[in-house]
Amino acid sequence: MNSPTAFPYKPNDRETEEASNSYLMSLVALIAGLPLPIINLIATVIFYLTNRKGTYFVRWHCTQALLSQFSLFAMNVCAVWWTISIIFSTTLISNGFIAYLFTIIVVNVVELTATIYTAIHTRKGRHVEWWFYGSLTNLICREQR
Amino acid sequence: MKKVFIEGIALAAIFFGAWFGLSRIDWVSMFNIEQSTKNIEEKLGEMYWDAYKKDEITTPSVNKAIDSIVTKICKKNRIDRDLITLHILDDEDVNAFALPNNHLVVLSGLIIAADSQEELSGVLCHEIAHIELHHIMKKLIKEMGFATLVSMTTGGKSPEMIASTAKMLSSLAFDRSLEKEADMKAVDYLIKAKISPEPFAKFFSKLAEKQGTGVKYLSWFTTHPYSKERSEYILEYCKKKAIQNEPIIAPETWAKLQEVLSN
Repeated sequence: MNSPTAFPYKPNDRETEEASNSYLMSLVALIAGLPLPIINLIATVIFYLTNRKGTYFVRWHCTQALLSQFSLFAMNVCAVWWTISIIFSTTLISNGFIAYLFTIIVVNVVELTATIYTAIHTRKGRHVEWWFYGSLTNLICREQR
Repeated sequence: MKKVFIEGIALAAIFFGAWFGLSRIDWVSMFNIEQSTKNIEEKLGEMYWDAYKKDEITTPSVNKAIDSIVTKICKKNRIDRDLITLHILDDEDVNAFALPNNHLVVLSGLIIAADSQEELSGVLCHEIAHIELHHIMKKLIKEMGFATLVSMTTGGKSPEMIASTAKMLSSLAFDRSLEKEADMKAVDYLIKAKISPEPFAKFFSKLAEKQGTGVKYLSWFTTHPYSKERSEYILEYCKKKAIQNEPIIAPETWAKLQEVLSN
């Protein structure tokens, strides 16, 4: 995660609230969707769709929140299906499986921490770009002139 | 674009690096998972054997003869004989099967149907191979699910369920790949025990022929299909090996064993 960086313009109070909410939305959905990862992805997609015509600042942060949710969704889905295959089929508990669970837990904790940090800073009008996701969002989300 | 690519690669490298690094730790031993699975297998073995034990043959001469064959196979293949529990059941079905926790069950019908001790040894080796390769628990988990097996061993067992699944175990057909693996392992066991694998290969064709003549109760054949193909690949595999044949029990003991069981 990067430190707060400069944004092309200073967002107003309403924008910072909506941008901050995009992280809070994924945070709440992340907790609710831990057993079923699809829930937090759906929640973030819905929030993104409702705000895609918002201002550049809001759109930018909704996109960053959505992109980070995609990779987390893929990782959590693998963990859920691997666990299901152990319970219901011939797959055995291996060192690789337990290592994957620990890795996923660390990734989820990092994501959770980054989400809280970004939600707080965004609410204060500071722009936070995440490692990789920020750069990817810059490619996808352009300022409309 | 280049920045995104480099950052993406770095992130993936951190993720897979962490996963790979953590998977080097022996978590399975650390959390005692193998012991827990073993405990479940032991309980299942007891439960299933309870469903069969009423038909067990306790005639010393019969048990001693079959035990001699199993002991020699185990000894020559460095298999811990004490870990395998041999049972002979009074049943006209031509069958032998393995239960969880290394119970090897041989039906009297199979001993009577075998023309020689080599044929019987082949089937015994095949079932020992299933035990040694842990095929029984793998198949049980696939058929019933790990959650069901755990609930069966922790009080959620109904007599009907045990009876029906015990029946399933005796007629359990393994996947083709597992059967081939057990066949090849059985041939290796036979060769090391100085028993010719050829009668074992021909046993499949013999059962296939018998099935067409109206002989009933050929469970071992029905759960071990593709007999011609199996005979062929076993014989092909044998060509590369030096084969010896030394009878384990005396011919007269074998003849007496069949006579006792036929009566």
